Amino acid sequence: MLQKREKVLLLRTFQGRTLRIVREHYLRPSVPCNSALCPQPAACRNEGKLLSSDVTHYVIPDWKVVQDYLEILEFPELKGIIFMQTACQAVQHQRGRRQYNKLRNLLKDARHDCILFANEFQQHCYLPRERGESMEKWQTRSIYNAAVWYYHHCQDRMPIVMVTEDEEAIQQYGSETEGVFMISFKNYLDNFWPDLKAARELCDSILQSRQERENESQESHGKEYPEHLPLEVLEAGIKSGRYIQGILNVNKHRAQIEAFVRLQGASSKDSGLISDILIHGMKARNRSIHGDAVVVELLPKNEWKGRTAALCENDSDDKALGESPSEPMPTGRVVGILQKNWRDYVVTFPSKEEVQSQGKNAQKILVTPWDYRIPKIRISTQQAEALQVANTDFRVVVRIDSWESTSVYPNGHFVRVLGRIGDLEGEIATILVENSISVVPFSEAQMCEMPVNTPENPWKVSPEEEQVRKDLRKTHLVFSIDPKGCEDVDDTLSVRTLNNGNLELGVHIADVTHFVAPNSYIDVEARTRATTYYLADRRYDMLPSILSADLCSLLGGVDRYAVSVMWELDETSYEIKKVWYGRTIIRSAYKLFYEAAQELLDGNFSIVDDIPELKDLDEKSRQVKLEELVWAIGKLTDIARHIRAKRDRCGALELEGVEVRVQLDEKKNIHDLIPKQPLEVHETVAECMILANHWVAKKIWESFPHQALLRQHPSPHQEFFSELRECAKAKGFFIDTRSNKTLADSLDNANDPNDPIVNRLLRSMATQAMSNALYFSTGSCAEEEFHHYGLALDKYTHFTSPIRRYSDIVVHRLLMAAISKDKKIEIKENLLSNKDLEELCRHINNRNRAAQHSQKQSTELFQCMYFKDKDPETEERCITDGVIYSIRTNGVLVFIPRFGIKGAAYLKNKDGLVISCGPDSCSEWKPGSLQRFQNKIISTTTAGQSVTFHLFDHVTVRISVQALRCHSDTIRLEIISNKPYMIANTELFHQSSLLLKSELVKEVTRSMEEAQLAQEVKVNVIQEEYQEYCQTKGRSLYTLLEEIRDLALLDVSSNYRL
Amino acid sequence: MAGLELLSDQGYRVDGRRAGELRKIQARMGVFAQADGSAYIEQGNTKALAVVYGPHEIRGSRSRALPDRALVNCQYSSATFSTGERKRRPHGDRKSCEMGLQLRQTFEAAILTQLHPRSQIDIYVQVLQADGGTYAACVNAATLAVLDAGIPMRDFVCACSAGFVEGTALADLSHVEEAAGGPQLALALLPASGQIALLEMDARLHEDHLERVLEAAAQAARDVHTLLDHVVRQHVREASILLGD
Repeated sequence: MLQKREKVLLLRTFQGRTLRIVREHYLRPSVPCNSALCPQPAACRNEGKLLSSDVTHYVIPDWKVVQDYLEILEFPELKGIIFMQTACQAVQHQRGRRQYNKLRNLLKDARHDCILFANEFQQHCYLPRERGESMEKWQTRSIYNAAVWYYHHCQDRMPIVMVTEDEEAIQQYGSETEGVFMISFKNYLDNFWPDLKAARELCDSILQSRQERENESQESHGKEYPEHLPLEVLEAGIKSGRYIQGILNVNKHRAQIEAFVRLQGASSKDSGLISDILIHGMKARNRSIHGDAVVVELLPKNEWKGRTAALCENDSDDKALGESPSEPMPTGRVVGILQKNWRDYVVTFPSKEEVQSQGKNAQKILVTPWDYRIPKIRISTQQAEALQVANTDFRVVVRIDSWESTSVYPNGHFVRVLGRIGDLEGEIATILVENSISVVPFSEAQMCEMPVNTPENPWKVSPEEEQVRKDLRKTHLVFSIDPKGCEDVDDTLSVRTLNNGNLELGVHIADVTHFVAPNSYIDVEARTRATTYYLADRRYDMLPSILSADLCSLLGGVDRYAVSVMWELDETSYEIKKVWYGRTIIRSAYKLFYEAAQELLDGNFSIVDDIPELKDLDEKSRQVKLEELVWAIGKLTDIARHIRAKRDRCGALELEGVEVRVQLDEKKNIHDLIPKQPLEVHETVAECMILANHWVAKKIWESFPHQALLRQHPSPHQEFFSELRECAKAKGFFIDTRSNKTLADSLDNANDPNDPIVNRLLRSMATQAMSNALYFSTGSCAEEEFHHYGLALDKYTHFTSPIRRYSDIVVHRLLMAAISKDKKIEIKENLLSNKDLEELCRHINNRNRAAQHSQKQSTELFQCMYFKDKDPETEERCITDGVIYSIRTNGVLVFIPRFGIKGAAYLKNKDGLVISCGPDSCSEWKPGSLQRFQNKIISTTTAGQSVTFHLFDHVTVRISVQALRCHSDTIRLEIISNKPYMIANTELFHQSSLLLKSELVKEVTRSMEEAQLAQEVKVNVIQEEYQEYCQTKGRSLYTLLEEIRDLALLDVSSNYRL
Repeated sequence: MAGLELLSDQGYRVDGRRAGELRKIQARMGVFAQADGSAYIEQGNTKALAVVYGPHEIRGSRSRALPDRALVNCQYSSATFSTGERKRRPHGDRKSCEMGLQLRQTFEAAILTQLHPRSQIDIYVQVLQADGGTYAACVNAATLAVLDAGIPMRDFVCACSAGFVEGTALADLSHVEEAAGGPQLALALLPASGQIALLEMDARLHEDHLERVLEAAAQAARDVHTLLDHVVRQHVREASILLGD
């Protein structure tokens, strides 16, 4: 059945000799054609995605088209694309792995109607290369031949268009076969897709930039940058330790000058370097762009430079810098790039005035990326003029094509327009693109996989599932506690007394994996999204709403599938005696909201009228049910306190994230902050979830020691704590950072009774010093690295929110496999291998980071919009109280508790004048000088007046917005007085003092009322998070709490430690 | 440039085979008249010639004779023109010695040596073209040659190699696949009983995967058996026609 052919290759060896290689090549009578039109699908053995039959034609791109115009072929509007194997191999060999992987992903993506046809293995399609025939000619001939075969294979029912760039081929084959047309790619777009303007524009700009590049290489200017070294030299250099490999990180605030290379893997150990390597200036950076994997050569020690500690123009963020400013650090230069991680960039065209100054070189425009870290990009396009005029007010997406050593700036091409500058939708789209988040509505194919639940055709529990699942509907009192109006309830709780007197605590999580089969379309989509994205005013769901808000949501009074973890606890000591995992059917009896649960807990039963489930009952049965419920909530709280106390003893941290939420009214205008009371119930629910996560982590790790997905939070580096220690010392506190236990305790003790904000700031500094919590596969890590520093647990994972996190879906599958393994049942599902899981974890971690960044950026966007319409001179809200938390050579960093904003305030302005405060404590700019000390900065005017700013001093600041055309707007702070701002809003801060943890441990044994009092003054963040819920409708508090942790951990991200 | 993709997303290998498919096997028995038994095999582009003499008296030093069974003496050599670059391969280099020993081990397990005490069986194998899986080709050729010589054996010995790429076991590796450097396993099987005559692997492979790779190699060896069996029957039919029975 297989036919053997031989392929002769002539290769040149490294020594320059020619080597004749004979390779076998097997042909087969049938190769999957993957078309819905196939007359013998059985013979073709088609499986997976099929080319739809309802298109007007199939299009087959020539190899050259695939190589150059892949991004256009990625348009989902283009349907019925057949990629020939010959073309794919050409991409693989000539365009490198990155491009090839893009093609592979495209083929795998169910949303795109395109397939691969393995023409070279089909006996009628394969054409041997003739003697003297060029590779290019042969490739075109093969593809054409395969196209003809394909046309006949589909019984001439579907016309085929082959698009090529080869004019000769069009001449030669153009009219050879009826039904198979051959035209150029540009022609094809013009004729077949006249409406697809975006694709045509993209095509033009690609064409243009390619021509430019060709011209340029002929011209050969003087070199702006040294050439990159060849790959072999780099690899050898890395091995021998001469070069160092790492990821380039550009300093956002000094993008032109400073970049750092974070070391990767083994190279850091070999070279004995701990810190990052400084890359000073664009020349040394040698055409690498933020995020690239680069190879660096260290400069001799006498050329090492120090980093700058002065505040500069766009220094809006804070950075956790410990070192003194001038201490030189390892400095290097980039000698080669291993992997270019270029993505889509949002840019702004220069305004008209700027263009004129750029000269009349009309074909090229320098555009400014939104991200400060990206250099300006040169766009050469024929539509320059048109684009220029049309786009000055718009945000535009471009891609970088190349960066020749002869060119100061990289060359790119125009892709599409996003939206108007300053417009909310445009700015949000910018944030999404910059974080590489793509959220298109779910496709039809994906929705087809979804179960139906309509009034005519309601969804029911199937009898088969009833057989295999444990039925808790009759036996357990299951209820959920969520924020008011929540739609996607993914966790419920239950507690009851067993016959033997022990207690049974249950956590029931929505069984998402029942509906989402591995590798189904919806699964693939969820995996790409990896998480639900929450922006300040909207959210992008990971799963379609039929699942997230209906069938997976554990609503009250309906039957739902769940995955449960149930513990048997000792009646009095609450020691865990037994644990059970499994699939269940539950019917949640109550869908409580937090306030109601808290009222019940407090013994205030007037709230009963707000609980719909109890409304319609008669007095007596209502009383019975109520007692039952109150008992359960009370018991739960009790258990949670115990667990919490136990964890606190091990050193769990109370972290502080300084994220503020904005409240919007209907018109999307920013409202005010309404502080909400944090409740103990929040803590209770969160604690139960942490417990469930912990036990599931243990279970899956035991069953699959090499391929379980867990979450780790590595211990922080001690050196990053130095700033925290210094700051605390300024206030007379000592922070012991040796372990999480000592850190937690000393943070509790570092409490200034007069100023609760000090503690908050110290906690947020501690948070910044820590690294991010990450998902990982247990096969690729040593066991001692598994532990979770912040939660003080040896193993932790995410299990409780499968509706909004893909990691939880994976964990659910692992847990199911672990259960069937215990029962000695063959594991049905194909579990991910360690390598695949590691890859997946990296993807999820990346996506999470993107989600957090986008959330933060959108919040900042809203903050700016809030202050934008307010006149800082007159508006009362713009003047507020701030706390100094870091001191730099020319200014201070200030935290504003009222809005949760952190920012820089200058003590020396651009004209070199320094701030001075008169006796009325109003500030003025006067000539003078600044003197910086460890914990204070003194500004002295020439007249001899001086004013001192200490760490943790309260000052009055004025908030204004600096509008920027090319970048996002930024908040500016201006110190207008060195006295605290006097206004009655101080009562807002009273509650932000923290509950001491040691107290909490004692509290456990105390009565409920007392505990309640103490809990009321819990972390301020909760209320802010809670605000957020009110806008987006539908997140359980636990998820919010989890997010606080995540967000808290996020603050340490790259730019702070630079 | 991107490295070679040994197994594409569509499940094809570099040469167009699927993961479990063998290369084309062609074989002939009785290619030389002077020898007691001989055979020639082509497994894809790997070509091997095997010649068997014996059982006969011990040649050389008499002390080598074994009192209870026959001595199996195997020699392996490969032609200077067997690879892409012409290269002289003197007798007795490490590689061919090792291969000789492996062959000896394999055939001592298969030949009923106790039937011929104090005698010697010589198996000479020459590789004419090497394109991956030389050990397997040598064993298969030698099996046919031993059968041709009429030496009693327990069963055919069928050998095949298998590798492991991206979670999939590949049967019968070609030179390109071997050169990629993944783990490679060589298996010689007595197909009727399923006993293993020789199993060899140099590279590291996770224990969890071993079973799958082994199964792929065993299945391939069984497939080889079907083919060799066919060749032997064909040969016997031709011989009996010539004899005029």
